[in-house]
Amino acid sequence: MMQRSEVAVNNSTIKRSWWLILLIIAFLIAPLVMSKFYLTILCEALVMSLFALSFNLLFGYMGQLSFGQAAFYGLGGYVVAMLITKLQFNFWLSLAAGAGMAGLVGLIVGYFCVRLRGIYFAVLTLAFGQLIFVIIFKWHKFTGGDDGIQGVFPPEYLRSIEAYYYLIFFVCAISAFILWRIVNSPFGQALKAMRENPERTEFLGIHIARYQLIAFVIAAAFAGLAGAVWVPFYRSVAPSYLTWIKSGEPVMAAILGGPNIFFGPVLGMFIMTFVHSYILGFTHFWPVIMGTIILIIIFVLPGGILEFAKVKITERREKAKIAKGQT
Amino acid sequence: MLLQTQSITKEFGKLRAVNQVSLDIHKGDIHAIIGPNGAGKSTYFNLITGYHPATFGKVLFKDKEITHLPAYTRCTLGITRSFQITSIYPKFTVYESVLMALLSHRKVTLKFFSSANKFFKEKVWNILEDVELANQANTLGDSISHGDKKRLELAITLGTEPELLLLDEPTCGMSPEETESTMALIQKLSTERGITILFTEHDMSVVFGIAKRISVLHQGTLIADGSPQAVRASEEVQKVYLGGTA
Repeated sequence: MMQRSEVAVNNSTIKRSWWLILLIIAFLIAPLVMSKFYLTILCEALVMSLFALSFNLLFGYMGQLSFGQAAFYGLGGYVVAMLITKLQFNFWLSLAAGAGMAGLVGLIVGYFCVRLRGIYFAVLTLAFGQLIFVIIFKWHKFTGGDDGIQGVFPPEYLRSIEAYYYLIFFVCAISAFILWRIVNSPFGQALKAMRENPERTEFLGIHIARYQLIAFVIAAAFAGLAGAVWVPFYRSVAPSYLTWIKSGEPVMAAILGGPNIFFGPVLGMFIMTFVHSYILGFTHFWPVIMGTIILIIIFVLPGGILEFAKVKITERREKAKIAKGQT
Repeated sequence: MLLQTQSITKEFGKLRAVNQVSLDIHKGDIHAIIGPNGAGKSTYFNLITGYHPATFGKVLFKDKEITHLPAYTRCTLGITRSFQITSIYPKFTVYESVLMALLSHRKVTLKFFSSANKFFKEKVWNILEDVELANQANTLGDSISHGDKKRLELAITLGTEPELLLLDEPTCGMSPEETESTMALIQKLSTERGITILFTEHDMSVVFGIAKRISVLHQGTLIADGSPQAVRASEEVQKVYLGGTA
Protein backbone atom coordinates (compact mmCIF):
# COMPACT_ATOMS: atom_id res chain seq x y z
CA MET A 1 0.00 0.00 0.00
CA MET A 2 1.27 3.41 -0.93
CA GLN A 3 2.02 5.86 1.82
CA ARG A 4 -0.08 8.98 1.88
CA SER A 5 2.97 11.08 2.56
CA GLU A 6 4.40 10.21 -0.83
CA VAL A 7 3.85 13.05 -3.23
CA ALA A 8 1.88 11.52 -6.02
CA VAL A 9 1.78 14.41 -8.43
CA ASN A 10 4.11 14.26 -11.42
CA ASN A 11 6.62 16.96 -10.71
CA SER A 12 9.75 15.66 -12.28
CA THR A 13 11.42 18.83 -13.49
CA ILE A 14 13.19 20.25 -10.50
CA LYS A 15 13.28 17.47 -7.94
CA ARG A 16 17.00 17.64 -7.64
CA SER A 17 17.95 21.19 -8.36
CA TRP A 18 21.74 20.88 -8.29
CA TRP A 19 21.95 20.99 -12.08
CA LEU A 20 19.86 24.15 -12.13
CA ILE A 21 22.21 25.89 -9.71
CA LEU A 22 25.19 24.83 -11.83
CA LEU A 23 23.45 26.15 -14.91
CA ILE A 24 22.72 29.52 -13.29
CA ILE A 25 26.37 29.84 -12.21
CA ALA A 26 27.47 28.98 -15.75
CA PHE A 27 25.20 31.69 -17.16
CA LEU A 28 26.47 34.22 -14.63
CA ILE A 29 30.14 33.67 -15.49
CA ALA A 30 29.54 33.31 -19.25
CA PRO A 31 30.57 36.92 -20.10
CA LEU A 32 33.89 36.34 -18.37
CA VAL A 33 34.83 33.34 -20.47
CA MET A 34 33.01 33.77 -23.77
CA SER A 35 34.00 35.80 -26.80
CA LYS A 36 31.76 38.70 -27.79
CA PHE A 37 30.61 36.74 -30.82
CA TYR A 38 29.40 33.78 -28.81
CA LEU A 39 27.98 36.02 -26.09
CA THR A 40 25.81 37.65 -28.76
CA ILE A 41 24.64 34.22 -29.89
CA LEU A 42 23.93 33.32 -26.26
CA CYS A 43 21.80 36.46 -25.89
CA GLU A 44 19.81 35.45 -28.94
CA ALA A 45 19.42 31.89 -27.67
CA LEU A 46 18.09 33.16 -24.34
CA VAL A 47 15.59 35.55 -25.89
CA MET A 48 14.43 32.93 -28.37
CA SER A 49 14.11 30.46 -25.49
CA LEU A 50 11.72 32.80 -23.70
CA PHE A 51 9.81 33.12 -26.98
CA ALA A 52 9.71 29.30 -27.24
CA LEU A 53 8.60 28.89 -23.61
CA SER A 54 5.72 31.29 -24.20
CA PHE A 55 4.70 29.27 -27.25
CA ASN A 56 4.98 26.00 -25.39
CA LEU A 57 2.53 27.11 -22.71
CA LEU A 58 -0.03 26.76 -25.51
CA PHE A 59 1.49 23.84 -27.40
CA GLY A 60 3.03 21.57 -24.79
CA TYR A 61 0.73 22.32 -21.87
CA MET A 62 -2.59 23.38 -23.37
CA GLY A 63 -2.30 21.16 -26.46
CA GLN A 64 -3.01 23.87 -29.05
CA LEU A 65 -0.59 24.67 -31.87
CA SER A 66 -0.25 28.43 -32.29
CA PHE A 67 1.27 29.34 -35.61
CA GLY A 68 1.13 33.09 -35.09
CA GLN A 69 3.24 33.53 -31.98
CA ALA A 70 5.80 35.67 -33.83
CA ALA A 71 3.18 38.41 -34.23
CA PHE A 72 3.32 38.98 -30.46
CA TYR A 73 7.10 38.72 -30.39
CA GLY A 74 7.32 41.31 -33.17
CA LEU A 75 4.67 43.54 -31.60
CA GLY A 76 6.64 43.69 -28.36
CA GLY A 77 9.69 44.67 -30.36
CA TYR A 78 7.87 47.34 -32.37
CA VAL A 79 6.29 48.92 -29.31
CA VAL A 80 9.69 49.29 -27.66
CA ALA A 81 11.31 50.58 -30.85
CA MET A 82 8.62 53.19 -31.42
CA LEU A 83 8.44 54.34 -27.82
CA ILE A 84 12.19 54.73 -27.55
CA THR A 85 12.90 56.32 -30.94
CA LYS A 86 9.78 58.45 -31.40
CA LEU A 87 8.89 59.42 -27.83
CA GLN A 88 12.21 58.93 -26.03
CA PHE A 89 10.19 56.91 -23.55
CA ASN A 90 11.71 55.36 -20.44
CA PHE A 91 13.47 52.11 -21.37
CA TRP A 92 12.05 49.97 -18.56
CA LEU A 93 8.53 51.23 -19.07
CA SER A 94 8.93 50.52 -22.78
CA LEU A 95 9.72 46.88 -22.04
CA ALA A 96 6.61 46.64 -19.88
CA ALA A 97 4.56 48.38 -22.56
CA GLY A 98 5.83 45.91 -25.18
CA ALA A 99 4.70 42.95 -23.12
CA GLY A 100 1.44 44.69 -22.21
CA MET A 101 0.56 45.58 -25.78
CA ALA A 102 1.28 42.02 -26.93
CA GLY A 103 -0.96 40.73 -24.15
CA LEU A 104 -3.72 43.16 -25.12
CA VAL A 105 -3.61 42.16 -28.80
CA GLY A 106 -3.42 38.54 -27.58
CA LEU A 107 -6.70 39.11 -25.77
CA ILE A 108 -8.41 40.22 -28.98
CA VAL A 109 -6.86 37.54 -31.22
CA GLY A 110 -7.30 34.86 -28.57
CA TYR A 111 -10.97 35.70 -28.15
CA PHE A 112 -11.58 34.31 -31.63
CA CYS A 113 -8.97 31.54 -31.67
CA VAL A 114 -9.82 29.71 -28.43
CA ARG A 115 -13.19 28.72 -29.79
CA LEU A 116 -11.40 26.41 -32.21
CA ARG A 117 -9.39 23.23 -31.84
CA GLY A 118 -6.52 21.54 -33.60
CA ILE A 119 -5.77 22.55 -37.17
CA TYR A 120 -8.45 25.27 -37.15
CA PHE A 121 -6.84 26.92 -34.16
CA ALA A 122 -3.44 26.70 -35.87
CA VAL A 123 -4.72 28.18 -39.11
CA LEU A 124 -6.58 31.03 -37.41
CA THR A 125 -3.52 31.99 -35.33
CA LEU A 126 -1.53 31.90 -38.57
CA ALA A 127 -4.09 34.14 -40.27
CA PHE A 128 -4.09 36.68 -37.43
CA GLY A 129 -0.29 36.58 -37.34
CA GLN A 130 -0.09 37.36 -41.05
CA LEU A 131 -2.70 40.10 -40.64
CA ILE A 132 -0.63 41.87 -37.99
CA PHE A 133 2.48 41.36 -40.14
CA VAL A 134 0.82 42.94 -43.17
CA ILE A 135 -0.40 45.94 -41.16
CA ILE A 136 3.11 46.62 -39.91
CA PHE A 137 4.66 45.92 -43.30
CA LYS A 138 2.32 48.21 -45.23
CA TRP A 139 1.84 51.08 -42.79
CA HIS A 140 5.04 52.79 -43.82
CA LYS A 141 4.37 56.17 -42.22
CA PHE A 142 3.76 54.75 -38.80
CA THR A 143 5.98 51.68 -38.62
CA GLY A 144 8.64 52.35 -41.22
CA GLY A 145 7.27 49.55 -43.40
CA ASP A 146 9.86 47.20 -44.80
CA ASP A 147 12.66 49.52 -43.62
CA GLY A 148 11.82 48.73 -40.02
CA ILE A 149 13.05 51.04 -37.27
CA GLN A 150 16.72 51.64 -36.56
CA GLY A 151 18.59 53.35 -33.78
CA VAL A 152 16.79 51.72 -30.88
CA PHE A 153 19.34 52.28 -28.13
CA PRO A 154 19.13 51.06 -24.57
CA PRO A 155 20.24 53.44 -21.78
CA GLU A 156 23.95 54.23 -21.53
CA TYR A 157 24.63 51.71 -18.73
CA LEU A 158 23.22 48.84 -20.81
CA ARG A 159 25.08 49.52 -24.06
CA SER A 160 27.88 47.02 -23.59
CA ILE A 161 27.15 43.46 -24.67
CA GLU A 162 28.02 42.15 -21.20
CA ALA A 163 25.67 44.52 -19.37
CA TYR A 164 22.81 43.81 -21.74
CA TYR A 165 23.51 40.10 -21.52
CA TYR A 166 22.83 40.24 -17.79
CA LEU A 167 19.58 42.10 -18.41
CA ILE A 168 18.50 39.45 -20.90
CA PHE A 169 19.53 36.67 -18.58
CA PHE A 170 17.55 38.06 -15.63
CA VAL A 171 14.46 38.85 -17.70
CA CYS A 172 14.50 35.34 -19.18
CA ALA A 173 15.27 33.61 -15.88
CA ILE A 174 12.52 35.44 -13.99
CA SER A 175 10.04 34.87 -16.82
CA ALA A 176 10.94 31.17 -16.97
CA PHE A 177 10.46 30.94 -13.21
CA ILE A 178 7.01 32.55 -13.45
CA LEU A 179 6.01 30.28 -16.33
CA TRP A 180 7.29 27.28 -14.41
CA ARG A 181 5.16 28.21 -11.42
CA ILE A 182 2.16 28.67 -13.71
CA VAL A 183 2.44 25.24 -15.35
CA ASN A 184 2.68 23.59 -11.94
CA SER A 185 -0.17 25.60 -10.43
CA PRO A 186 -3.84 24.56 -10.33
CA PHE A 187 -4.29 26.72 -13.44
CA GLY A 188 -1.51 24.79 -15.17
CA GLN A 189 -3.13 21.55 -14.11
CA ALA A 190 -6.37 22.71 -15.74
CA LEU A 191 -4.46 23.49 -18.97
CA LYS A 192 -2.95 20.01 -19.02
CA ALA A 193 -6.36 18.51 -18.30
CA MET A 194 -7.79 20.35 -21.33
CA ARG A 195 -4.97 18.94 -23.44
CA GLU A 196 -5.52 15.40 -22.15
CA ASN A 197 -9.29 15.31 -22.35
CA PRO A 198 -11.22 18.52 -23.02
CA GLU A 199 -14.60 16.80 -22.76
CA ARG A 200 -13.89 15.28 -19.34
CA THR A 201 -12.53 18.62 -18.17
CA GLU A 202 -15.59 20.56 -19.26
CA PHE A 203 -17.72 18.05 -17.39
CA LEU A 204 -15.72 18.80 -14.26
CA GLY A 205 -16.92 22.40 -14.40
CA ILE A 206 -14.10 24.09 -16.37
CA HIS A 207 -15.05 26.76 -18.91
CA ILE A 208 -12.55 25.68 -21.57
CA ALA A 209 -12.60 28.81 -23.76
CA ARG A 210 -12.09 31.10 -20.76
CA TYR A 211 -9.05 29.19 -19.51
CA GLN A 212 -7.56 28.94 -22.97
CA LEU A 213 -7.98 32.67 -23.44
CA ILE A 214 -6.14 33.41 -20.19
CA ALA A 215 -3.30 31.12 -21.30
CA PHE A 216 -3.28 32.76 -24.73
CA VAL A 217 -2.87 36.23 -23.19
CA ILE A 218 -0.09 35.06 -20.86
CA ALA A 219 1.72 33.43 -23.79
CA ALA A 220 1.30 36.56 -25.94
CA ALA A 221 2.62 38.82 -23.17
CA PHE A 222 5.75 36.73 -22.62
CA ALA A 223 6.38 36.51 -26.38
CA GLY A 224 6.00 40.30 -26.44
CA LEU A 225 8.47 40.65 -23.58
CA ALA A 226 10.98 38.50 -25.48
CA GLY A 227 10.67 40.75 -28.54
CA ALA A 228 10.79 43.87 -26.37
CA VAL A 229 14.02 42.90 -24.66
CA TRP A 230 15.67 41.76 -27.90
CA VAL A 231 15.16 44.86 -30.07
CA PRO A 232 17.26 47.35 -28.02
CA PHE A 233 20.08 44.78 -28.03
CA TYR A 234 19.94 44.47 -31.80
CA ARG A 235 19.32 48.25 -32.06
CA SER A 236 16.63 47.73 -34.72
CA VAL A 237 13.41 45.97 -35.59
CA ALA A 238 12.04 44.79 -38.94
CA PRO A 239 8.78 43.22 -40.20
CA SER A 240 10.58 39.89 -40.61
CA TYR A 241 10.18 39.47 -36.84
CA LEU A 242 6.47 38.85 -37.36
CA THR A 243 6.53 36.42 -40.28
CA TRP A 244 5.16 32.92 -40.16
CA ILE A 245 8.71 31.65 -40.61
CA LYS A 246 9.54 33.22 -37.27
CA SER A 247 6.41 31.62 -35.82
CA GLY A 248 7.73 28.26 -36.98
CA GLU A 249 10.94 28.55 -34.96
CA PRO A 250 9.42 27.86 -31.52
CA VAL A 251 7.42 25.01 -33.08
CA MET A 252 10.64 23.36 -34.25
CA ALA A 253 12.43 24.13 -30.98
CA ALA A 254 9.66 22.47 -28.98
CA ILE A 255 9.65 19.37 -31.18
CA LEU A 256 13.43 19.19 -31.03
CA GLY A 257 13.80 19.53 -27.27
CA GLY A 258 10.52 17.96 -26.18
CA PRO A 259 7.24 19.85 -25.74
CA ASN A 260 6.16 17.82 -22.71
CA ILE A 261 9.11 18.87 -20.60
CA PHE A 262 9.35 22.42 -19.37
CA PHE A 263 12.92 23.08 -20.54
CA GLY A 264 12.50 21.09 -23.78
CA PRO A 265 11.89 24.15 -26.00
CA VAL A 266 14.82 25.93 -24.33
CA LEU A 267 17.18 23.12 -25.26
CA GLY A 268 15.70 23.09 -28.77
CA MET A 269 16.25 26.82 -29.18
CA PHE A 270 19.83 26.62 -27.89
CA ILE A 271 20.63 23.85 -30.36
CA MET A 272 18.97 25.72 -33.22
CA THR A 273 20.60 29.06 -32.46
CA PHE A 274 24.12 27.75 -31.92
CA VAL A 275 24.09 25.19 -34.73
CA HIS A 276 22.70 27.90 -37.02
CA SER A 277 25.48 30.37 -36.25
CA TYR A 278 28.09 27.63 -36.59
CA ILE A 279 26.82 26.24 -39.87
CA LEU A 280 26.42 29.70 -41.45
CA GLY A 281 30.21 29.90 -41.27
CA PHE A 282 30.56 27.49 -44.18
CA THR A 283 27.20 27.05 -45.91
CA HIS A 284 23.97 28.87 -46.61
CA PHE A 285 22.00 25.62 -46.70
CA TRP A 286 20.96 25.99 -43.07
CA PRO A 287 17.29 25.10 -43.70
CA VAL A 288 18.34 21.79 -45.27
CA ILE A 289 20.40 20.87 -42.24
CA MET A 290 17.71 21.99 -39.80
CA GLY A 291 15.13 20.01 -41.77
CA THR A 292 17.29 16.92 -41.57
CA ILE A 293 17.73 17.32 -37.81
CA ILE A 294 13.97 17.69 -37.30
CA LEU A 295 13.34 14.64 -39.50
CA ILE A 296 15.76 12.54 -37.47
CA ILE A 297 14.23 13.73 -34.18
CA ILE A 298 10.69 12.94 -35.29
CA PHE A 299 11.57 9.43 -36.41
CA VAL A 300 14.20 8.48 -33.85
CA LEU A 301 13.22 10.47 -30.73
CA PRO A 302 9.52 11.18 -31.21
CA GLY A 303 9.06 12.93 -27.85
CA GLY A 304 12.08 15.19 -28.33
CA ILE A 305 15.56 15.00 -26.83
CA LEU A 306 14.65 15.66 -23.19
CA GLU A 307 11.72 13.26 -23.27
CA PHE A 308 14.04 10.57 -24.58
CA ALA A 309 16.55 11.34 -21.84
CA LYS A 310 13.82 11.22 -19.21
CA VAL A 311 12.61 7.82 -20.40
CA LYS A 312 16.16 6.46 -20.39
CA ILE A 313 16.85 7.78 -16.89
CA THR A 314 13.60 6.34 -15.55
CA GLU A 315 14.36 2.95 -17.12
CA ARG A 316 17.80 2.97 -15.55
CA ARG A 317 16.40 3.75 -12.11
CA GLU A 318 13.81 0.99 -12.44
CA LYS A 319 16.53 -1.47 -13.42
CA ALA A 320 18.67 -0.37 -10.49
CA LYS A 321 15.72 -0.87 -8.17
CA ILE A 322 15.08 -4.35 -9.50
CA ALA A 323 18.77 -5.19 -9.18
CA LYS A 324 18.63 -4.14 -5.55
CA GLY A 325 15.62 -6.40 -5.11
CA GLN A 326 13.18 -3.67 -4.09
CA THR A 327 10.60 -4.20 -6.80
CA MET B 1 -37.33 16.33 -5.83
CA LEU B 2 -33.80 16.81 -7.06
CA LEU B 3 -34.15 16.71 -10.83
CA GLN B 4 -37.12 16.94 -13.11
CA THR B 5 -37.40 16.72 -16.87
CA GLN B 6 -40.55 18.09 -18.45
CA SER B 7 -41.41 16.80 -21.93
CA ILE B 8 -37.73 16.88 -22.78
CA THR B 9 -37.18 16.09 -26.45
CA LYS B 10 -34.20 15.72 -28.72
CA GLU B 11 -34.34 15.48 -32.46
CA PHE B 12 -31.39 14.68 -34.71
CA GLY B 13 -32.72 15.69 -38.09
CA LYS B 14 -35.82 13.55 -38.59
CA LEU B 15 -34.92 11.12 -35.82
CA ARG B 16 -36.53 11.82 -32.48
CA ALA B 17 -34.04 10.22 -30.09
CA VAL B 18 -35.78 11.33 -26.90
CA ASN B 19 -39.50 11.91 -27.10
CA GLN B 20 -41.23 14.07 -24.47
CA VAL B 21 -39.77 12.36 -21.46
CA SER B 22 -41.15 13.71 -18.18
CA LEU B 23 -39.47 12.18 -15.19
CA ASP B 24 -38.74 13.03 -11.55
CA ILE B 25 -35.54 11.96 -9.85
CA HIS B 26 -35.88 11.97 -6.08
CA LYS B 27 -33.13 12.90 -3.70
CA GLY B 28 -31.21 9.94 -2.35
CA ASP B 29 -32.56 7.45 -4.90
CA ILE B 30 -30.61 4.98 -6.95
CA HIS B 31 -32.53 5.33 -10.17
CA ALA B 32 -31.94 3.16 -13.22
CA ILE B 33 -32.81 4.03 -16.80
CA ILE B 34 -33.11 0.91 -18.91
CA GLY B 35 -34.08 0.18 -22.46
CA PRO B 36 -32.79 -1.70 -25.51
CA ASN B 37 -29.93 -0.33 -27.60
CA GLY B 38 -30.95 2.91 -29.24
CA ALA B 39 -33.71 3.56 -26.72
CA GLY B 40 -32.32 7.04 -26.06
CA LYS B 41 -30.75 6.45 -22.65
CA SER B 42 -27.44 8.13 -23.40
CA THR B 43 -29.14 10.97 -25.25
CA TYR B 44 -31.38 11.50 -22.22
CA PHE B 45 -28.22 11.72 -20.08
CA ASN B 46 -26.75 14.17 -22.56
CA LEU B 47 -29.79 16.41 -22.24
CA ILE B 48 -29.58 16.44 -18.45
CA THR B 49 -25.84 17.19 -18.38
CA GLY B 50 -25.82 19.73 -21.19
CA TYR B 51 -23.88 17.68 -23.70
CA HIS B 52 -26.66 18.23 -26.24
CA PRO B 53 -29.10 21.14 -26.28
CA ALA B 54 -32.71 20.01 -26.01
CA THR B 55 -34.99 20.51 -29.02
CA PHE B 56 -37.73 21.41 -26.58
CA GLY B 57 -38.83 20.66 -23.05
CA LYS B 58 -37.28 21.63 -19.74
CA VAL B 59 -34.74 20.35 -17.24
CA LEU B 60 -35.12 21.52 -13.64
CA PHE B 61 -32.51 20.96 -10.96
CA LYS B 62 -33.62 21.74 -7.43
CA ASP B 63 -36.61 23.59 -8.93
CA LYS B 64 -34.43 25.88 -11.04
CA GLU B 65 -34.47 25.63 -14.80
CA ILE B 66 -31.11 24.58 -16.21
CA THR B 67 -32.22 23.66 -19.75
CA HIS B 68 -30.02 26.25 -21.43
CA LEU B 69 -27.03 26.26 -19.09
CA PRO B 70 -23.70 25.06 -20.47
CA ALA B 71 -22.26 21.75 -19.26
CA TYR B 72 -19.60 23.27 -17.01
CA THR B 73 -22.17 25.36 -15.15
CA ARG B 74 -24.41 22.33 -14.56
CA CYS B 75 -21.39 20.59 -13.10
CA THR B 76 -20.70 23.42 -10.69
CA LEU B 77 -24.35 23.21 -9.58
CA GLY B 78 -23.82 19.59 -8.54
CA ILE B 79 -24.49 17.39 -11.58
CA THR B 80 -21.62 15.17 -12.69
CA ARG B 81 -21.50 12.31 -15.13
CA SER B 82 -19.45 9.42 -16.34
CA PHE B 83 -19.36 8.42 -19.99
CA GLN B 84 -20.26 5.15 -21.64
CA ILE B 85 -16.83 5.06 -23.25
CA THR B 86 -14.60 5.61 -20.24
CA SER B 87 -13.37 9.18 -20.18
CA ILE B 88 -10.24 9.66 -18.07
CA TYR B 89 -6.89 11.45 -18.31
CA PRO B 90 -4.55 8.91 -19.93
CA LYS B 91 -1.34 10.75 -19.09
CA PHE B 92 -2.31 11.89 -15.60
CA THR B 93 -1.57 9.67 -12.64
CA VAL B 94 -4.58 8.28 -10.81
CA TYR B 95 -3.89 10.76 -8.02
CA GLU B 96 -3.62 13.76 -10.36
CA SER B 97 -6.85 12.84 -12.10
CA VAL B 98 -8.87 12.97 -8.90
CA LEU B 99 -6.98 16.07 -7.77
CA MET B 100 -8.02 17.80 -11.01
CA ALA B 101 -11.68 17.26 -10.21
CA LEU B 102 -11.24 18.70 -6.72
CA LEU B 103 -9.26 21.70 -7.97
CA SER B 104 -12.07 22.48 -10.37
CA HIS B 105 -14.92 21.86 -7.97
CA ARG B 106 -13.42 23.85 -5.12
CA LYS B 107 -12.66 26.71 -7.49
CA VAL B 108 -8.91 27.02 -7.07
CA THR B 109 -8.08 26.59 -10.77
CA LEU B 110 -7.47 30.31 -11.14
CA LYS B 111 -4.54 30.18 -8.76
CA PHE B 112 -1.42 30.76 -10.85
CA PHE B 113 1.52 30.58 -8.47
CA SER B 114 0.80 28.00 -5.80
CA SER B 115 1.78 24.42 -6.42
CA ALA B 116 -1.14 22.19 -7.41
CA ASN B 117 0.08 19.26 -5.27
CA LYS B 118 -0.35 21.04 -1.99
CA PHE B 119 -4.13 21.09 -2.32
CA PHE B 120 -6.68 18.61 -0.95
CA LYS B 121 -4.29 15.73 -0.22
CA GLU B 122 -6.48 14.26 2.48
CA LYS B 123 -9.59 14.46 0.33
CA VAL B 124 -7.95 12.86 -2.72
CA TRP B 125 -6.67 9.94 -0.63
CA ASN B 126 -10.11 9.48 0.92
CA ILE B 127 -11.68 9.15 -2.51
CA LEU B 128 -8.93 6.83 -3.75
CA GLU B 129 -9.40 4.60 -0.72
CA ASP B 130 -13.16 4.58 -1.23
CA VAL B 131 -12.79 3.30 -4.78
CA GLU B 132 -9.85 1.06 -3.85
CA LEU B 133 -7.34 2.73 -6.14
CA ALA B 134 -5.01 4.09 -3.45
CA ASN B 135 -2.32 1.52 -4.22
CA GLN B 136 -2.23 2.71 -7.83
CA ALA B 137 -2.13 6.42 -7.01
CA ASN B 138 1.11 6.96 -8.93
CA THR B 139 0.17 4.89 -11.97
CA LEU B 140 -0.79 6.62 -15.20
CA GLY B 141 -4.44 6.51 -16.21
CA ASP B 142 -3.80 4.53 -19.38
CA SER B 143 -1.71 1.89 -17.60
CA ILE B 144 -4.45 0.51 -15.32
CA SER B 145 -6.92 -2.26 -16.14
CA HIS B 146 -10.23 -1.60 -17.86
CA GLY B 147 -12.24 -2.14 -14.68
CA ASP B 148 -9.91 0.18 -12.78
CA LYS B 149 -10.32 2.84 -15.46
CA LYS B 150 -14.06 2.71 -14.93
CA ARG B 151 -13.52 3.10 -11.20
CA LEU B 152 -11.04 5.90 -11.82
CA GLU B 153 -13.69 7.76 -13.77
CA LEU B 154 -16.05 7.22 -10.86
CA ALA B 155 -13.36 8.59 -8.52
CA ILE B 156 -12.94 11.64 -10.76
CA THR B 157 -16.67 12.33 -10.66
CA LEU B 158 -16.59 12.02 -6.87
CA GLY B 159 -13.95 14.74 -6.82
CA THR B 160 -16.61 17.20 -7.92
CA GLU B 161 -18.63 16.26 -4.82
CA PRO B 162 -21.84 15.86 -6.81
CA GLU B 163 -25.38 15.82 -5.52
CA LEU B 164 -26.56 14.03 -8.62
CA LEU B 165 -24.28 11.52 -10.28
CA LEU B 166 -25.12 10.15 -13.71
CA LEU B 167 -23.38 6.91 -14.58
CA ASP B 168 -23.63 5.74 -18.17
CA GLU B 169 -23.19 1.95 -18.02
CA PRO B 170 -20.82 1.94 -15.05
CA THR B 171 -20.07 -1.80 -15.29
CA CYS B 172 -19.81 -2.06 -19.07
CA GLY B 173 -17.05 -4.50 -20.03
CA MET B 174 -16.35 -5.56 -16.44
CA SER B 175 -15.87 -9.10 -15.18
CA PRO B 176 -18.65 -10.44 -12.91
CA GLU B 177 -16.45 -9.84 -9.84
CA GLU B 178 -15.66 -6.29 -10.88
CA THR B 179 -19.32 -5.67 -11.61
CA GLU B 180 -20.29 -6.89 -8.17
CA SER B 181 -17.73 -4.74 -6.36
CA THR B 182 -18.60 -1.67 -8.44
CA MET B 183 -22.28 -2.02 -7.65
CA ALA B 184 -21.47 -2.43 -3.97
CA LEU B 185 -19.40 0.74 -4.24
CA ILE B 186 -22.25 2.65 -5.87
CA GLN B 187 -24.58 1.48 -3.12
CA LYS B 188 -22.06 2.67 -0.54
CA LEU B 189 -21.70 6.09 -2.17
CA SER B 190 -25.43 6.47 -2.12
CA THR B 191 -25.83 5.59 1.55
CA GLU B 192 -22.63 7.13 2.96
CA ARG B 193 -22.34 10.27 0.90
CA GLY B 194 -26.02 10.73 0.19
CA ILE B 195 -25.40 11.07 -3.55
CA THR B 196 -28.42 10.63 -5.79
CA ILE B 197 -27.52 8.24 -8.57
CA LEU B 198 -29.04 7.96 -12.00
CA PHE B 199 -27.56 5.16 -14.08
CA THR B 200 -28.08 3.21 -17.27
CA GLU B 201 -27.22 -0.45 -17.43
CA HIS B 202 -27.54 -3.45 -19.70
CA ASP B 203 -27.22 -6.15 -17.09
CA MET B 204 -30.69 -6.75 -15.67
CA SER B 205 -29.46 -8.59 -12.59
CA VAL B 206 -27.42 -5.49 -11.73
CA VAL B 207 -30.36 -3.18 -12.26
CA PHE B 208 -32.87 -5.17 -10.24
CA GLY B 209 -30.28 -5.83 -7.55
CA ILE B 210 -29.59 -2.20 -6.72
CA ALA B 211 -32.12 0.25 -8.16
CA LYS B 212 -34.83 1.70 -5.98
CA ARG B 213 -36.59 3.01 -9.02
CA ILE B 214 -36.49 2.03 -12.65
CA SER B 215 -37.60 3.94 -15.73
CA VAL B 216 -37.86 2.21 -19.07
CA LEU B 217 -37.22 3.96 -22.37
CA HIS B 218 -38.26 2.48 -25.68
CA GLN B 219 -37.57 4.31 -28.95
CA GLY B 220 -37.09 7.51 -27.05
CA THR B 221 -40.36 7.30 -25.15
CA LEU B 222 -40.85 6.59 -21.47
CA ILE B 223 -43.00 3.45 -21.25
CA ALA B 224 -42.73 2.58 -17.56
CA ASP B 225 -41.54 4.18 -14.35
CA GLY B 226 -41.74 2.85 -10.82
CA SER B 227 -40.40 0.35 -8.33
CA PRO B 228 -38.48 -2.69 -9.63
CA GLN B 229 -41.49 -4.90 -8.84
CA ALA B 230 -43.88 -2.66 -10.72
CA VAL B 231 -41.59 -2.44 -13.74
CA ARG B 232 -41.00 -6.17 -13.75
CA ALA B 233 -44.75 -6.73 -13.72
CA SER B 234 -45.50 -4.28 -16.51
CA GLU B 235 -46.72 -6.09 -19.59
CA GLU B 236 -45.48 -3.45 -21.98
CA VAL B 237 -41.98 -3.67 -20.54
CA GLN B 238 -42.01 -7.44 -20.85
CA LYS B 239 -43.12 -7.16 -24.43
CA VAL B 240 -40.52 -4.66 -25.67
CA TYR B 241 -37.57 -5.27 -23.47
CA LEU B 242 -37.54 -8.26 -21.22
CA GLY B 243 -38.79 -10.47 -24.00
CA GLY B 244 -41.52 -11.83 -21.75
CA THR B 245 -39.05 -13.90 -19.75
CA ALA B 246 -38.66 -11.76 -16.65
